[in-house]
Amino acid sequence: MSEHILEVRHLSKAFGSHAVLKDIDFTVDKGDVTSIIGASGSGKSTLLRCINLLETLTTGEILFHGQDVTKGNINQSSYRAKVGMVFQSFNLFSNMTVLANCMIGQQKVSGIPKEEARKRAIYYLNKVGMAPYINARPDQISGGQKQRVAIARALSMEPEVLLFDEPTSALDPEMVGEVLDVMKSLAKDRMTMLVVTHEMSFARDVSNHVVYMADGVIEEAGPPSVIFTNPQSQRTRDFLKRILDT
Amino acid sequence: MFTQLLSDIGGLWEKYGTVYLTGIANTLILAITATLIGCIIGFFCGILQTIPCGPNENIVKRVLLKLIRIIIRAYVEIFRGTPMILQAVFIYYGMPYFFGVSFKDIWTVSIIVVSVNTGAYMAESVRGGIMSIDPGQFEGAKAIGMNHWQTMLYVILPQTLRNIMPQIGNNYIINVKDTSVMFIIGFSDFFAVHKMVSGAVFKYFPSAFLEMFGYLCLTLLASFLLRKFEKKLAGKSNYELVNADQLVMAAGTYSYPADGSPFDETSKDYKGEAK
Repeated sequence: MSEHILEVRHLSKAFGSHAVLKDIDFTVDKGDVTSIIGASGSGKSTLLRCINLLETLTTGEILFHGQDVTKGNINQSSYRAKVGMVFQSFNLFSNMTVLANCMIGQQKVSGIPKEEARKRAIYYLNKVGMAPYINARPDQISGGQKQRVAIARALSMEPEVLLFDEPTSALDPEMVGEVLDVMKSLAKDRMTMLVVTHEMSFARDVSNHVVYMADGVIEEAGPPSVIFTNPQSQRTRDFLKRILDT
Repeated sequence: MFTQLLSDIGGLWEKYGTVYLTGIANTLILAITATLIGCIIGFFCGILQTIPCGPNENIVKRVLLKLIRIIIRAYVEIFRGTPMILQAVFIYYGMPYFFGVSFKDIWTVSIIVVSVNTGAYMAESVRGGIMSIDPGQFEGAKAIGMNHWQTMLYVILPQTLRNIMPQIGNNYIINVKDTSVMFIIGFSDFFAVHKMVSGAVFKYFPSAFLEMFGYLCLTLLASFLLRKFEKKLAGKSNYELVNADQLVMAAGTYSYPADGSPFDETSKDYKGEAK
């Protein structure tokens, strides 16, 4: 039996009177690779940001191993340390080298000694192919390299779930491949991932679960084979037709 | 004419050289100490003012934060909005009235006055510096679990420092010159030496000339050093690639990662390929 790592229940989020997410329900199991697809403005990124508590939800709850993390009595920092996040705009710390970017969280949040943090950082940087660049600073490397470092930074916290917020959207086309390759290798390693993406090939070929969102609700969810070949909803069909034809 | 001036200055220097030098030393010590303490005050206010406060926080925290912001605001407005020379008088001569004690040590009062004054300006500079940092930096830090203090200390403030270095330089140079108003409470800085010496030997212009030159040297030196420091803060402009083979050895792929992590291929629990 698989274990629910994350469970989102009746999540709603409104900015003022504008409802962005309406009554979202879904679960993430260990080892799942879930792709969230949908048009811009459908609330995908907001959902991800809610899960990482970067936005406060209006109503609803988020259960991590059965425990509600939106209530005040849980330590948000340690929750965030276990749920890594990779951003569209990388958000690497520009005052630190690549290596320090991957060490600081381990040392300050998880209290790992320096030597061990260094080893671990280099291990994961090696994993994403960025180990030779440990002495570089973020503004000295390319977008694709930055994103790979950002993935290594998230991994070096040894999270249970990794959230990706459109990780390839800010990249030049020729750099998209290198980042997707890293994500594919993570998927192969059974890392639990939740990916907001416009890369339909990734959603179709790599993930084992696809969620289609429209106007702040989950329009349709299921395995990629169903969503991409035999979608039940008319809106899903229209969306996929539009995006796959171009 | 010109030779007359030079010989006058030479005479002054011969007789009072050490006094002038002591004045310079006092000015420097006061300006440096006060600028440093002022920076610390400024950064501290900056951190306190930017503590995030959502509508979901509990009422005690919200009231407390509001209070802190009001106090900092008042501090900044009062010390930025009144002349430092009056602040010195207020604190030095006001203490006996309010607390029944008076400062014996002019140094203490001077450092307090100049620091607190600098701090008021720095608080605003730091606030501006923090606002100019990309919000993504805060989110990146939050996302790996850092709390507000850690985010500030390791990520935001180092970048802020780099951005407001020119402002700090400004404040330091202003302090080198403006500490001269501390003569009002009897602090013997570089300018006080001028008053003392010229009063004794009636060589007003030669002494003023010497002072002008001295102050200019102090500030030019400061500008030079600050530029150097700014360059150092900006970091190296290039980097060396590290030999990948050595790294793999150092990384110890067998000793790491820890048991049970998704990449631990040596672990019995490893469920990489098999599903």
